[in-house]
Amino acid sequence: MRVLIVGAGPAAAAVAIALSKSSDIEVQVIDVGGRLEDENDAARLRMSKSGPSDWANGDLRTVSQTAVASKRHRLPEKRVFGSDFPFRDFGQLEGVSVEGDLNSHVVSGAYGGFSNTWGAQTMVFSEATFDDWPFPRSALEQDYRAILNTIPYSAEEDDLAEYFPLWGPADALPPLGEGPDRILRAYERNRVRVRRNGVLVGKARLAMRGAECVSCGLCMTGCPYSLVYSASHTFDDLVRSGRVDYVGGYVAQTLGEQEGRPFVAARSLNSGRVETFHADKVFVACGALGTTRLVAQSLGMWSRRIHMSESQQFLVPLLSLRGMKDLTQDGSFTLNQFNIVLPFDEAGHDLVQIHGYPYSKAMDDALPSLLQHQALKGVASALLKRLTVGLGYLPSWWSPGFDVLLTRPESEGALAGMTLTPSAAGEELTVPMLRAVVKRLVMSAPYLGVVPAVPQVTLSAPTKSYHFGGSFPHAREPKEDLESDILGRVRPWRDIHLVDASVFPTVPATTFTLSIMANAHRIARCVIEESRG
Amino acid sequence: MAKDREPLVGVTGSNGYLGSALVAALRAEDLDVVEYRRVAPDVIGNAEVRQLDLGGPMDARAFEGVSCLVHAAWDLRETDPRRAWERNVEGSKRLLESALDAGVERVIFVSSMSAYFGTKQDYGLMKLSVERAVLESNQVVVRPGLVYGAQSGGMASTLAKLARLPVIPVFSGAHQFTLHVDDFLAAMMTLVQSDEVPSSVIGLAHEPATSFKEIMLALAPGDGGGAKTIAVPWHPLLGLLRVAERLRFPLPVRSDSLLGLVRPASGVPGRDVAHHLGLSFRPFSVAAE
Repeated sequence: MRVLIVGAGPAAAAVAIALSKSSDIEVQVIDVGGRLEDENDAARLRMSKSGPSDWANGDLRTVSQTAVASKRHRLPEKRVFGSDFPFRDFGQLEGVSVEGDLNSHVVSGAYGGFSNTWGAQTMVFSEATFDDWPFPRSALEQDYRAILNTIPYSAEEDDLAEYFPLWGPADALPPLGEGPDRILRAYERNRVRVRRNGVLVGKARLAMRGAECVSCGLCMTGCPYSLVYSASHTFDDLVRSGRVDYVGGYVAQTLGEQEGRPFVAARSLNSGRVETFHADKVFVACGALGTTRLVAQSLGMWSRRIHMSESQQFLVPLLSLRGMKDLTQDGSFTLNQFNIVLPFDEAGHDLVQIHGYPYSKAMDDALPSLLQHQALKGVASALLKRLTVGLGYLPSWWSPGFDVLLTRPESEGALAGMTLTPSAAGEELTVPMLRAVVKRLVMSAPYLGVVPAVPQVTLSAPTKSYHFGGSFPHAREPKEDLESDILGRVRPWRDIHLVDASVFPTVPATTFTLSIMANAHRIARCVIEESRG
Repeated sequence: MAKDREPLVGVTGSNGYLGSALVAALRAEDLDVVEYRRVAPDVIGNAEVRQLDLGGPMDARAFEGVSCLVHAAWDLRETDPRRAWERNVEGSKRLLESALDAGVERVIFVSSMSAYFGTKQDYGLMKLSVERAVLESNQVVVRPGLVYGAQSGGMASTLAKLARLPVIPVFSGAHQFTLHVDDFLAAMMTLVQSDEVPSSVIGLAHEPATSFKEIMLALAPGDGGGAKTIAVPWHPLLGLLRVAERLRFPLPVRSDSLLGLVRPASGVPGRDVAHHLGLSFRPFSVAAE
């Protein structure tokens, strides 16, 4: 059987993992394939071969450029090894426009997709999340386990296991930063009091090789040792072993089925020519918005508003009375270190999650401009020593999401125009629920030792969370053309399977990418099983 | 449960009020029972008794041969919330893991109607935490209501003592979901012996709830005919109890228990499952006891 995967992000990697176990399946991947610049990659490679104390200053400067502030968004855009390649337009952003303060860098053209720059949080969805899905979590359990057995995983059993089982062998996390460690110890001491306020705290669970971490503090700008998982690692391995034929430099334009066989028409970024790829099965993994445009363009869904569900992001600075001894990111890792989970029902369906980040140099640039003034450096330093940044997420049913509107391409061989507009769906619940979250944090403050800086709590603009999907949600019996069956098939196709977040019926507030991978793995596994009768 | 071997039922907390009644009922049905006690003599009569301390390390061998484990143990002696959590919650989670590792097919965790979402009671919060671990392991949780009946123990016994006071304190608006001990035993027998029990929370209690005043009058000597009651505002009383506890004053009722009485659950969960299994719970009455 010949299989074509479109895209090379986490969903695509999960499909490749599932297929790679069958030697009789020929797997080809077509992808935009944007790469890190040679100069930056060379610096990263040199650094990976020695310890931090031996790094050349020039290399360190090159790879550790921090996030770039945006006038329109509170949170800056990350940089990876000094590069913007996960966000850059290699051709895949052609025709994308946004209204209001929405984010336009919504489709990655990078080899590995947005997993080159993700926070690496790795948690299964709660069982109750699947109350809104057409299958239970147990249908995904073996796929979660398969992924967790394949990618690096650092996690520990704690209170969060009450909703989120570990489901895989894991490394311990590297030593935590001073601030997060203090918060977790305060929680240990005052657990019952904190939980009375509907707050649970536990360590982060991350797709990283924690046991090998040297605590150089560069996680947020790219780990020189590649200890933090990227889908590109999976493809590197599978290409090297000959299990996958990877073809970069193509932007998929349309897809469909002719005489019962699927095809994908893709434009070569080198020649500009459109080429057609055929296969027995096609798995579409261009990221939720990339896939939405590809499918909607192929089915001619012009001038229709397609709603995208999003788990809306919010920022909550947490301040402690006691500061860190030294303001440094060295000696720790700088990814998310702990999670605050706020359940709003008994079963764990309505959950809000906040990821706690220790100090990293990226925070210097994210300070208000007044505090970046030389004269106020001492004040800024005192503040940063007491600051833990909480990045929170509301579930999609308490978030407005956004709409996608497609217009016909301007010329043959071009991508359809895709305009993202704010949506009012669910908006009435967003602010009240955020207030309820903040209230619980305030009530827990005396016991956790951190106070939320309430005036600084802000909702990020829609699209900014990157946790969106649901344009073609799974349904047991799809009734509309904007629904897919449980194998990700949209009518009238039989052998084209959408496998990324575009098929998610809902987007809960808990971490996202592992579930995308598990679901993509499930679809690929079931498709193989089905094809073998 | 698989029927290829004679079922052996384990009961933790077998010297507690509910645990001991359950062991007796199981044996009366000719079921093989192994009891788990904190301090165990080698053999008591014909019964097998194994040692198990929630606060200590767990050994999967302790559950050898057990097909169904009823976990009713809970150490109420520890009043410090942190230590009580470590002992009861962490201990119960360790026990669950060991039992499942040892091949126990069904674990039934005896929780409480005090364990409901939004409870502020320490006891309820701790039970809830264990419940979550049990449910994540696809096992069964039961929440008995206020258990009463012949030779009442637990909270009903404490209330019966208070009901003997010349003036009985009652709390406005307080109510309880009640459970006759015989209904508890019948329900547990069903849960132990049924082939299929869904992983869920099953409330074992009669609904609707009975008012606290009605319960206290029924427990009073002479069916409460001549008993006097006085409505007590619970907030100041709660404060007083907490102060007394800080001063280590011996008390008949703990502040945490008072909170459970005045802020009960709003309903009985899992009624559909209970109905499906044929469980029934009689309305509150102590007249015939």
